[in-house]
Amino acid sequence: MKNLFSLERVTTVVIIIGALTFHQFAGYYGHEILAEIAILAIFAMSLDLLVGYTGMISLGHAAFLGIGSYATGILTVHMGWSVAPSLVISILVAGLVAALVGLFVVRLGGIFFIMITLAISQMFHAYFLKNREYGGDDGMPGIPRIDLESFGLNSFDPADFALFTLFVAVIIYLLLDLVTNSPFGRYLIGIHQNENRMRSLGVPINRYKLAIFIVAGTIAGLAGSLQAQHMGFVSPDAMYWTVSGIVLIMVIVGGTGSLVGAIIGAATVQLMTHEISSLTEHWMIYMGIFFIGVVLFASDGLYGTFARQWRRFREQRTRPETQRMDGDA
Amino acid sequence: MLKAVRLNKFYGSLLVTDNVSLELAKGARHAVIGPNGAGKTTLFNLLTGEVKTDSGRVLIDGRDVSKKSPDQRAQAGLGRSFQKNNLFMELTALENLTTACAVSVELGRVFWRPFDSVSEIKEAAESIAEQVDLLSVLDIPVHHLSYGHQRQLEVGLALATQPKVLMLDEPTSGMSPEETTIMLNLISALPSSLTILIIEHDMDVVFGVTDRITVLDYGSVLVEGTLDEVRSSDIVRQRYLGDASS
Repeated sequence: MKNLFSLERVTTVVIIIGALTFHQFAGYYGHEILAEIAILAIFAMSLDLLVGYTGMISLGHAAFLGIGSYATGILTVHMGWSVAPSLVISILVAGLVAALVGLFVVRLGGIFFIMITLAISQMFHAYFLKNREYGGDDGMPGIPRIDLESFGLNSFDPADFALFTLFVAVIIYLLLDLVTNSPFGRYLIGIHQNENRMRSLGVPINRYKLAIFIVAGTIAGLAGSLQAQHMGFVSPDAMYWTVSGIVLIMVIVGGTGSLVGAIIGAATVQLMTHEISSLTEHWMIYMGIFFIGVVLFASDGLYGTFARQWRRFREQRTRPETQRMDGDA
Repeated sequence: MLKAVRLNKFYGSLLVTDNVSLELAKGARHAVIGPNGAGKTTLFNLLTGEVKTDSGRVLIDGRDVSKKSPDQRAQAGLGRSFQKNNLFMELTALENLTTACAVSVELGRVFWRPFDSVSEIKEAAESIAEQVDLLSVLDIPVHHLSYGHQRQLEVGLALATQPKVLMLDEPTSGMSPEETTIMLNLISALPSSLTILIIEHDMDVVFGVTDRITVLDYGSVLVEGTLDEVRSSDIVRQRYLGDASS
């Protein structure tokens, strides 16, 4: 399906080089934004596994982000663990919760899946909102960052922490690139394209949906733990449904069904939010107009549209060949 | 190879499958015919498990699969095509076939190596493509394929799972006479060890590729027998063949 130097991979390499270059010249503010984008890119890629690859549109993905955040907060602040093991446990906890939630939700399709993921994530939100021990709606401050001294980095320096999040994002990209191009990934695409046919070919659909739901939840938990470390703080807002909505918008804006699309979407939406909100307090209106524009004029997202135009450009340059193929069809 | 024992199915109070039994020996070529609404597709869905039976049993190769889901029955050796094309429309013809071939060897748990690196899959898919005459269009996305090619791919997907019993739901529906001929040749050329159950409207297809026929009417078996027995049956002439030939 994809060669080693596919457009997607080349684009990703260009983005990574761009991010590293930006990192060289950016100041405090730039490094903060870079870390935010790297974390959101991880989060968006995890959602794209569901939305873009398997066709499961979740409106509750922030629950796993929030669980990763809270787990890190509780383990470090309340239980005094150091951050590295807390990070690992947070990821596992998010995966475990995703497994339990997934057992119920993967049976449902379409609008029912959207509604139940929304409802379950709001239940988690409500729990942490009312839980005094973990700060209720004030949230939980004082979350430390991972110790990176053995790598020669100071994680409290925004430049170094941004580099760390970028590094994690690249690892996650490589991992998911492997998974999405594997036979397992092909099953997911098959389920997205035609669930009934996959079933009648002999695939136990729900088992695969559950598997990817757990993977997506686990990676969202990783993003959540990083976010808690980055902000030093977690509140129930992290798992509010609007967060699920924004990450869904990121995936749609970037283009569903490609990891690089999720990265581009996360970067675009986050940068625009920052830039426009510094100009006007009515920034959400402009974001809304932008989103409508993307949906109307670039319905397969920024990367999807770019990839389509690129293919058309390539085909025009090798026209005689394409004509022969059309003749065969 | 495939056995159905006294299948019954109600939709509400309407009995759509009434005490239908079938038995196909290994290598059998069996057709189910009947007028629209006779319950042919329902019978098919009962056999594949897409619709649950109210009573009765289904056995594949001696194994009782009555309680099994469609995917488990497929794994037990039941491959089916659909009356309406039911393909992976955004993928190419080759990707459709490689997906089905991967399912047949249960590669779904493999997540650490690229799909394309599994060379046996591509070879298997190409040999299926040859069987269903699609070698020339393998790299074209399915939604750009002609209807006839899509129908051939429909059969190809069912074949790719290496079924013991191949079930074809009106394989020539909506096809031009030329496309029908291609499909007929293609079905005739399938290995004689493969058991085939076929639902068909087109009598040329039925008489061309099958040797036994079950005639359904109002959900129950009107007649079952060889081609000659069915052709000479008065009740079938009256109810069905007469209509078809007019």
